[in-house]
Amino acid sequence: MSRLSLPTDLYAEPRLPRVTLWRVIVAIIFGAGCYAAYARFALGFQQSTNLVDAQPWGLWVGLGTLCGVGISAGGFALAAAVYLLGLERYRPVVRAAVLLSFLGYLSVIVGMMYELGLPWRIWHPIVMWNRRSVLFEVSWCVMLYTTVLTFEFSPALVERIPWARPRNLYLRFHHEILVALVLSGAVLSSLHQSFLGGLYLLAQGKLDPLWYSASLPTLFYLSAVPAGLAATIMAVYLCNRSMNTSIQPAMLAELSHVVAPLLYVYALFRGIDLVTHGSAPYLWMWREETGLFWLEIVLFVIAPVLLLSQERIRNNTFHLYVTCSLVVMGFVTNRLNVAITAFERTSGFHYVPKWTEFALTLATVTAAIVAFHYAVKYLEILPKNPTRKNNRLADLRNVPQLVGAN
Amino acid sequence: MATTRAILIDITKCIGCRSCEQACKQIHGFPPETEQKLSPTALTVVEEREGRFVRRMCMNCQDPACASACLVGALRKTALGPVTYDSSRCIGCRYCIVACPFNVPRYEWTKLVPFVKKCDMCYDRQVQGQLPACVEACPVQASIAGGRDEILEEAQRRVLLDPKYVKHIYGSEEAGGTSLFFISDVPFEKLGFQSLSPQPMPVLTANALGDVPTVVLIGGSFLAGLYWITNRRKQVVWAEARETATRTGKDTERS
Repeated sequence: MSRLSLPTDLYAEPRLPRVTLWRVIVAIIFGAGCYAAYARFALGFQQSTNLVDAQPWGLWVGLGTLCGVGISAGGFALAAAVYLLGLERYRPVVRAAVLLSFLGYLSVIVGMMYELGLPWRIWHPIVMWNRRSVLFEVSWCVMLYTTVLTFEFSPALVERIPWARPRNLYLRFHHEILVALVLSGAVLSSLHQSFLGGLYLLAQGKLDPLWYSASLPTLFYLSAVPAGLAATIMAVYLCNRSMNTSIQPAMLAELSHVVAPLLYVYALFRGIDLVTHGSAPYLWMWREETGLFWLEIVLFVIAPVLLLSQERIRNNTFHLYVTCSLVVMGFVTNRLNVAITAFERTSGFHYVPKWTEFALTLATVTAAIVAFHYAVKYLEILPKNPTRKNNRLADLRNVPQLVGAN
Repeated sequence: MATTRAILIDITKCIGCRSCEQACKQIHGFPPETEQKLSPTALTVVEEREGRFVRRMCMNCQDPACASACLVGALRKTALGPVTYDSSRCIGCRYCIVACPFNVPRYEWTKLVPFVKKCDMCYDRQVQGQLPACVEACPVQASIAGGRDEILEEAQRRVLLDPKYVKHIYGSEEAGGTSLFFISDVPFEKLGFQSLSPQPMPVLTANALGDVPTVVLIGGSFLAGLYWITNRRKQVVWAEARETATRTGKDTERS
C-alpha cells in the first residue's frame, strides 16, 4: 500500500510483470514441475519415480509429507502460546506462523495427490474406517487440523470483505470459537505429529537400529516443534528483509530462546533412547548410515545449540536465520533418514529419487512459498512498516528502465 | 466352513516343477512366463536355495501387519484364514508394503491405475470348498491344505517322527503365527527365512494408538486449565485497572 505513495510508480502505470532472477527461477521450477506431473499422471510411477517394492515410500513421503507436516508445527505451537498460555509478546508473529502451517498442510495435501496411487479416492478414509491403522488416525488428524487452520487463518481474508455486517458477524463468531479452535488444533497436532513417527513402528526389523525405536512417536513430536519454530523465524526474517514488514529483531531472538531448550530436550531424549535400545554400538561403526546419522545430529542439535548459546548469534538476525536454517536442514535430514536411509541395509536397495520426484516436490514447496509471499504482501499477516521502502532494492526495482524487460 | 484353513509346505518334498506357479498364473489370468521373484503377475514363486526349492507367497498371517496398517480396511483377515484384498477400497498409499514383515505385497508400478497384488490363498475357491489352485496342482503333495489345527498337527507329526527335519515349524509362531507352515531339513535362516518374534506386528502400533484417548483427555484438559488460569489473570488485571480508573476518576471529581 505504501508503494502507491512512491513517486516512481507514476510512470510505472501499465506494465507487464517484471522479469527478475527469482521470477525466472520460479518459472523454471514450475515448468519442471509441470513436466513431472505429466510424467506421474500420464506415464505412471515407473516413469516418474525410482520407487520399488523394497522402497515403496520415497522422497514424496519423506520430504513432502513428513517434512511438510513437521515444519508446519510452528502454527499450533505459537497459537497455543499466545491464545492459551497468554504469551502476548509472540502475538505479532502468530498470523505468519499460522499462515506457514496452513500453506504447509495444503502442500502436503497437494503432495498426496501425486503420492497416492489412486488419488481420486483420497476421500475414502472419511467413510472407510480402520481404527487399528496409525495412518487412519494421521489422515483424520490432518483433515481436521487443516480445517482448523483454515478457520484460524480465515480472518486475514475475511477482513478484506468490504461489507461491514457479514464481515463483523464472521469476525465476532471467529473470536468466540478461537480458543476452542486453538485448543483442538494443539491436541490434533500433537497426535498426528507423533503418529507420523508411529507409522514406522510397524517397520520393526526393517529400520536401522539408529532410527527404530518404540519412542518414534515422541521423537517425531519433540523434533517437529523446534523445527516448526525455526521455520517460522526464517520466514519472518525473510519477510523483514525483502518486504516492508517490521518485526522487532528482539522478537526473533526471543523465539530462538525457546528453540534451544527444545533441542536440548530432544537431544537428551534421543540419547537416552538410543542407549536404552542398545543402539549405542552403532554410533561409532564405520557405515554410511552412521555418517548420515551424525550429519543429522550435527545439523539439528549440536551446531544450533552451540550457535544459539552465543549472544552475538542470537542478537544478529542474519546469523539467527542461518542457525535456524541449520535446524530445518537437520530436521529434513532426520526425516529422510527415517524414510529412506534406515531401510537401505535391510531392503538391499539403494534408492535415489528420480529428478521428476525432486521436481514435483520442489514445485509444490515453491508454490507454497510464492503463496506466502503474496499473502504477506496483500493481507495483514505481519505488522507493516510504513516508513520503510518496499525493499532494499526498492529504488532500483521501481525504475522500470533499469531492470524491467519491457 | 467355520474352521480356519492353512497350507503346509514340506520343503523336503518339493521337486521344483513349478506347477504351483503355473496354476496360480492360470487362475489369475497372468502371462505364463516363469518369473524369478514375486511380482504383480507372480503371486507365488519357487526359489532355489541351498539345493532346496523354497516356495514364496503371502503368509496370510493370523494377525496381519498389512491389515492393521491399511487405513481404509482394504486388507482383511477372513474367518476362513486368507487375508483378502478389496481393490475397490484401496487408495494406493502402499503402507501395507512398508508394514509387511515378509516383504510380500507387490505394487503395480507400471500401471496408471495401480493396485496391490498378493496371494489370498484362493479365497474364492476355498469359500466354495475347493483347494487353493497351487495346492491342487502339486504333483508330489509338497503343499497340502486343510484345517489349520489338523495341518499344524500333521507338520508336528512329521517333524517329530523324522529326524531329518529341523525341529521348527516356520509359521507356527512367527509374527504371531501364519496360515502357512514350512518344514525343512535345512535350517530356515539358510533358506532366506527371516527370524521374527512371536509377537503379532499390530501390537507395535496398538500401544501407541491406545494412548490417543489419554493424550486427548489429559492434554486437552491441561491446555484448557492453562487457558483458564491465563484468562483469569487477564480479567483480574483488567478489573484492577478499571477499579483504579474509576477511583482516580472519583478523586478528580471530588477535588
